[in-house]
Amino acid sequence: MKPIIRFAAAACLAAGLTFTAQAAVGPGQQVVLDHFAQLAKQANPSFGGFSAARGKAFFLAREATGNADTPSCSTCHTADPRNEGQTTVGKAIAPMAVSRTPNRFTDLGKVEKWFLRNCDTVIGRQCTLQEKGDFITFMSSL
Amino acid sequence: MNIAEVRIEQPAARADVQADAKVWDIPLRIFHWSLVAAVAAALVTGLVLPPTWITLHLIAGTTAAALVAVRVVWGLWGPGAARFASFVHGPRTLLIHCRELADGTARRHLGHNPLGSAMIVALLVAVVLLALTGVVAQGGVLKMGPLAFMTTYDAGWTVRQVHKLIAYILLGSVALHIAGVLFESRRSRENLIRAMFDGRKAARPGDIAPPPIVARPVLSAVVATLLLLAGAGTVDALARLPGLGVPRAPLDPVYADECGACHIPFHPSLAPAAAWTAIMADLSHHFGDNAELDAATAERLRKYLLANSAEHYDTLAAHRLRQIDPADPLRITATPFWQRAHRRIPASVFASKQVVARSNCSACHQDTASGLFEPSAIQIPENAEP
Repeated sequence: MKPIIRFAAAACLAAGLTFTAQAAVGPGQQVVLDHFAQLAKQANPSFGGFSAARGKAFFLAREATGNADTPSCSTCHTADPRNEGQTTVGKAIAPMAVSRTPNRFTDLGKVEKWFLRNCDTVIGRQCTLQEKGDFITFMSSL
Repeated sequence: MNIAEVRIEQPAARADVQADAKVWDIPLRIFHWSLVAAVAAALVTGLVLPPTWITLHLIAGTTAAALVAVRVVWGLWGPGAARFASFVHGPRTLLIHCRELADGTARRHLGHNPLGSAMIVALLVAVVLLALTGVVAQGGVLKMGPLAFMTTYDAGWTVRQVHKLIAYILLGSVALHIAGVLFESRRSRENLIRAMFDGRKAARPGDIAPPPIVARPVLSAVVATLLLLAGAGTVDALARLPGLGVPRAPLDPVYADECGACHIPFHPSLAPAAAWTAIMADLSHHFGDNAELDAATAERLRKYLLANSAEHYDTLAAHRLRQIDPADPLRITATPFWQRAHRRIPASVFASKQVVARSNCSACHQDTASGLFEPSAIQIPENAEP
């Protein structure tokens, strides 16, 4: 096999793997992620991209700095975001994982509305661009 | 039992039958015991059991009213002992009878004696009044039934008190009726309760017998059927009219979507305008959570809530929930009425998986979106799990 063909095959495989890993990030989520990435870069030139692993840690962290009834994102959304969640007053929440609820994180207005409310309620402050992007990246990776 | 015994008993039994007088006809006996069942069911469901039994109460009350309607027809065209003309007397006859009872000279009546007939009239009138007041109460308070279209909550609530009073009077009358039957059974040495089952009484010399009037069963059946059909048709047609002061429009879709995202979208009629104003003025501190909305949506929802607040409706929920707890003025579950209405629900039910929170009305109330909260629409989840 000629090196050039071997390189092409490897590139195709790599592209395929990358595609598989990010299969859940639809064009809708990508628009929202790009928006946050652009703002993050403007604010911080050394911005290094979003991470699903950081998003997962953030999602599971027990901050307990907001409303005592909701110390963590997982209080309502459960530890596995592929599950249906429930608000503290019994209302069902569709799964956060994009694989289960494909239109999650596709409407920037809704995304900002819920980060505004829930970051305040759970951690008692607004989330950073990094946290928002990591969160969506995690939800898109499941 | 051997054959000889049977042969000996037969003539005696035949002689008994011949000495008996048929007093209570079959329709009258069916009426009597059906009314006993209907009134007992209505009294138990109305005075003892919780309001969730309202459907059975309405069925029992409607049945009692229909039975009395048929009894009135039979009182006009039935046989002698059933006919009003043969036993409804004036107060003079009643007084004479009472005096004779005191003297010990009162004769025995095969049909109703004057005291008994006064009780029959009182019982029938009580059931009719209960049916009428019940329909007004149902219309005004529950916004159900034939008078819902024209009865205000306040009128319905007042008449409900009268309904309750008559129910207690009926209960007392039933006790007196039974006491009277036992008294007369003892006085005349005859089991009058049995007589209401088999219709027979021993015919004795000196009895006052009801006039021998021949019944008109076909005429009675036709009139009773027409009466019941006309009654049912009227009730059904009137019950279809929209209730007075009842919300008709479905919930605003933006309201249902935005507010219903975290909790059930509480019908705007469940809280007074002052509560909605205060809630919409501070959505970022919404019962411990941040529930901020963009200004345009918040303003739209504020207008919707104020245009449909409790003051605009005449339902039971709108009336009772507008009386707030001044110490906790925004919480529906803090209102005195909510507290009282739910006092018998164990805390474990609210904490269960199916309910989760006191504010999750629709876990038990199947009609939250209408704002009606009918007692008949309550279904507390069975086996509520912790």
